[in-house]
Amino acid sequence: MGIRLDKEARAGLTLIAPPFIFAILLLAVPLTAILMLSFFSQSYLTLDTTLTLDNYRTALTEPLYRLLMLRSLAISGCVTLATVILAFPIAYFVSFHVAPSKKSLWIFLITIPFWTSYLIRVFLWKVILGYNGVLNSSLQGLGIIDEPLTFILYNANAVVITLAHAFAPFAILPIFVALERIDRPLLEASRDLGEGTVGTFLRVTLPLAMPGVVAAALIVFIPTIGDYVTPQLVGGPSGLMIANWIQTLFLGQNNAPMGATTAVLAMLIVGVIALVFVFLNRRFLRVRR
Amino acid sequence: MKLNLNWLKGYAVLYLVFLYAPIFLLPIFAFNDATVIAFPLKGFTTRWFADLTTTPALHGAVLNSLFIAISTAILSTCLGICAARAGARFSFPGKQGIIGFIMIPLVLPEIIVAVSLLVTLLQLGLSLSSWTVILGHTLICTPFSIAILNSAFATLDPSMEEAAYDLGETKWSTFRLITLPLVMPGIISSFLIAFTISLDEFIIAFFLTGAEPTLPVYLWGQLRFPAKLPIVMALGTILVAFSILLLTLAEIFRRRGIAKAGGRDTGGFL
Amino acid sequence: MTDAIVSLTDVHKYYGTYHALRGITLDIRAGEFFSLLGPSGCGKTTLLRTIAGFEDVSSGTLLLDGKDMARVAANKRPTNMVFQSYAIFPHLSVAENVGFGLRRSSMDSAAKARAVDEALEMVGLKGYGTRAAHALSGGQRQRVALARALILKPKVLLLDEPLSALDKKLREQMQNELRRLQRQVGITFILVTHDQEEALIMSDRIAVMFEGEIAQLASPQDLYRRPLTRRVGEFIGVMNVLPATVSGQEADIAGLGRAPVTPDQAPSGMPEGTAGAGIRPESMSILYDGETTTRRTASGEVVEVFYYGDMTYYDVVLPGTTKPMTISMKNVAGRPVLDRGTTARIAWDAEALVLFGDT
Ligand SMILES: Nc1ncnc2c1ncn2[C@@H]1O[C@H](COP(=O)(O)OP(=O)(O)OP(=O)(O)O)[C@@H](O)[C@H]1O
Ligand SMILES: [Mg+2]
Repeated sequence: MGIRLDKEARAGLTLIAPPFIFAILLLAVPLTAILMLSFFSQSYLTLDTTLTLDNYRTALTEPLYRLLMLRSLAISGCVTLATVILAFPIAYFVSFHVAPSKKSLWIFLITIPFWTSYLIRVFLWKVILGYNGVLNSSLQGLGIIDEPLTFILYNANAVVITLAHAFAPFAILPIFVALERIDRPLLEASRDLGEGTVGTFLRVTLPLAMPGVVAAALIVFIPTIGDYVTPQLVGGPSGLMIANWIQTLFLGQNNAPMGATTAVLAMLIVGVIALVFVFLNRRFLRVRR
Repeated sequence: MKLNLNWLKGYAVLYLVFLYAPIFLLPIFAFNDATVIAFPLKGFTTRWFADLTTTPALHGAVLNSLFIAISTAILSTCLGICAARAGARFSFPGKQGIIGFIMIPLVLPEIIVAVSLLVTLLQLGLSLSSWTVILGHTLICTPFSIAILNSAFATLDPSMEEAAYDLGETKWSTFRLITLPLVMPGIISSFLIAFTISLDEFIIAFFLTGAEPTLPVYLWGQLRFPAKLPIVMALGTILVAFSILLLTLAEIFRRRGIAKAGGRDTGGFL
Repeated sequence: MTDAIVSLTDVHKYYGTYHALRGITLDIRAGEFFSLLGPSGCGKTTLLRTIAGFEDVSSGTLLLDGKDMARVAANKRPTNMVFQSYAIFPHLSVAENVGFGLRRSSMDSAAKARAVDEALEMVGLKGYGTRAAHALSGGQRQRVALARALILKPKVLLLDEPLSALDKKLREQMQNELRRLQRQVGITFILVTHDQEEALIMSDRIAVMFEGEIAQLASPQDLYRRPLTRRVGEFIGVMNVLPATVSGQEADIAGLGRAPVTPDQAPSGMPEGTAGAGIRPESMSILYDGETTTRRTASGEVVEVFYYGDMTYYDVVLPGTTKPMTISMKNVAGRPVLDRGTTARIAWDAEALVLFGDT
C-alpha cells in the first residue's frame, strides 16, 4: 500500500494525467524504441535484433562521425555566440533606451520576421548569398568586387549566417526579459556608490542579465545543433551537419539502427551541454537571490 | 553617454535591416518577370500569383497544413491548460519531475523527435497520415503552450476562484465564468503560437506525413525545381502578408485586453 | 450553547505533517462581531477557511447553524467571505460583481437589479454599478467585496484581514463603517486580524490564537484587563511583567515592593511562590516635582523617552530589575517632559496588577 493521497494531490494528478500520458506514449516510448534500435543491426532489408555494440563502435571510430559531430558543435557554437553577442545590444537598447510605451512595438518589429516561413527565409539566404545572388550582384554593380564571392554559399559560413538570422529573436527575448527585470534603482545605487556608466554595466547590469544570456544561449544552441533545413539548403557538402546524416541513414541508406545510434549520440551531446547550461544558470540564479 | 546612445540606435537600425533583408526580397522577386531569382530585375508581372491559383497540389497542401495546425493548436492548448493548471494550483507527489518530463521536447532536437516517432509508428504498424503529423506537432507544441499558460494561471489570484465558489457557483461554472475569461489571453496566445509552430514545422512533417504533404513539405519539393521558384516567392509573399496581418490583429487584441483589464502595457509578445 | 451559529468541537487540521489547528473548540453566537486575533502563522486564516469550507477539517466537528458541515462544500454553506485581496472579478462591472451570487437565485432580473442597487447603497457606492471593477480604489474594492458577500444574506460573514491593504486613515474609517454595517444587518461577522487595536475596537468577543490553539476567548475589556497568560497580556497592548513572589494574598514585586492581591487578579488561578506580576503602562504615572499622592509609590531611572505628541512613553528601570518598564503619560499643559537619566517617582495601584503563573 502506498501513501494515501489527499484530495488536492488526487485532483492535481488527475489534471496532469492527460499531458503526462501523452508524453509517455509519444516521448518515452519512442525514445526507448530508438535506444533499443541503436543496439540492433541492419543487413540489407532485414533487421537483426541481436543486441550489439557494433553501431557505437562504428560511430566512435569512423572519422566521418567525429567530423560531423565536431562540425555540428562548432557551427552551432558559432551561431550561439554570434546570435547572443549580436542580440545583447539590441535587447539592452530596447530595455534601457526605448520609451516604455514603444517597447512592445520594438519587440513586435523584432519578432515579425520570425513568424514567416522558416523554409522560405532559409531559401532567401541562398538567393542573397548565391554566386549571382543579391549580395554578389550588388557588390559587383557597385564595383567593389570583380569576381563573385564564393566563400559565402555552400559551406559552413553560409550555415552560420543563416542560422544566426533565423534564431535572432530567440536570443533577444530572454535577454530583454532579464534586463527588464532589473530594478532601475539598483543602477542608481551603483552610480551613487561611485561607479561610472561602464562600471555599472559590468558590475551590476551584466551579472543580473546573465540568466537571460544563458537561457538565450540554450534556446539557440539546442535547435541549431539538430537543424536539418539550413545545412541542406545552403551548407553544401562541407556544411552538412548531424541531422542531415541521420536523415540520410534513415531514409537514404535504409540503415535505421545506425541512424538510431547517431540520434542517441546526438541526444547525449545535447543533454550534456544542456545540463552544463542549466548548471550555469543555477549558479547565476543563486547569485541573484 | 549621448554618443553611446547614438551608436546603439544606429546598431539597432542596422540589425533590423539584417532581420528584414530576406523578407524584403520576397515581394521583389514575386513580382519580377523572370524565372531566374537574381538581379537585375526584369519587369513587373503578377503571373506568378495567377499561377498559384492553378496549382491544385498547393491548395491541397495548404488545406492539409491548416487542418494539422488547427488540430495541433487545439490539442496542445488543451493539454497545456491541464498541465499549467495542475502546476499552478495543486501540489502533488512528483510534480517537478512530471512537468519537467512533459517539457523535454523543448530541449530535444526536432530530428530526434521525428525519427523516434517514425520508428515507433512503423513498428506499431500504423500508417503515416495527417494524424501522425498532428501527434508529433502536439508533442513539440505542448511545452510552448504550457510555458505560456503557466504565466496566465500563475498570475491568477486563487481567491478569485474561491470567491466565485463561495458565492454559490459550482467548480465547473466557476471555471467557465471566472477562470476561463481571466486566462483567455493566455489561451489565445497559446493557440496562436502552437498554430504557427505547426504551420511552419518541416522536419517532423517530412518524416511523418503520409500521402498528403503539408505546406512546408510541398515547398521543400518545389525548391528543387528552379522553374517553380518564382511561384514559391509569390506564395511566400502571401504568407508573410498574412502572418503580419494576423500578428497585428493579435497585438491589437492584446493591447485591448490589457486596457480592459486595467493593466499597464509592459510589452512582450511571448 | 444553544444560540451558537458556528460551533467547533476539537477541530484539528493538518497540512501534510504540519499541525495547523490543534484542537479548536469554539462557539460563536448569532449576531455577534467576533474576531480571531493572533500573530502571523498562528492559523487564523486556516480556521476561517475551515469554516468557509475551503479546507477540510482533519478531525473534529464543525456545526453551522446547528448543522454538521462535514459533507457540505463551500458553495452550499450559509457563509460568505471577504477576501484579503478582495478578489473583485476584473472582467466584470461593479454591478455584475455585486450581483454575481444572485445568478442562481430564482429572483427575476428586475428584483436582482434592485437587490444590487440596495447592496451598493448600503456600502455607500450608490451609482457605481456600471463602473469597471478594475478602475476602483482600494477602499471601493473593499466595499464592493462587502456588498457582494452581503447580498446573499449569509448567516455568517467571514472577513480575512479585510483592512490590511488600506492606509491608516482609510482603515480607521472602514473600521467604523464595518461596525455600523454589522449592527445594521445583524449578521454574524467573523474577522481575522493580526492588529490587536482593530480587534479591540470592533469586536464583541475576541479569540486570541497562538500556534493553532486558542489562548483566550473574551470580551475586549476582559482580554485587556485580565489576560489569562503573560503571552496574551504582552500580545494585547503593552504589559510590563515583573518577577514577583506570591504568598497567600500578598505579592512581593521586584522594584515595586509588597502589595495585597485578590484571586480576581489572577485569571488563571492564584500562583504560589514565584510568579509574574503584570501592570499596564497607563496604570502607572510619573509624579512631577512636589506632587503628592495617596497611591503606592516607587522610583526608578528614566532610560529612554518616546514623545508622541499627545502622550509620552518612558522606559524606566526600577532598582533591583534590569528590564525597563514602560510608563505612559498624557501630555497636559504645564507638565514638563522628563529627560533621560533623571530619577522619576512613580505612582501605581495594587488593583491594576495581574498575576501570572509563569515569570
Ligand atoms: N496550504 C498549506 N499547506 C501547508 N501549510 C500551510 C498551508 N496553508 C497554511 N499553512 C501553514 O499553516 C500555518 C497557519 O497558516 P495561516 O495562513 O492560517 O496563518 P495566519 O494566522 O492566517 O497568518 P497570517 O497573519 O500571516 O495570515 C502557517 O504556518 C502556514 O505556513
Ligand atoms: Mg492569514
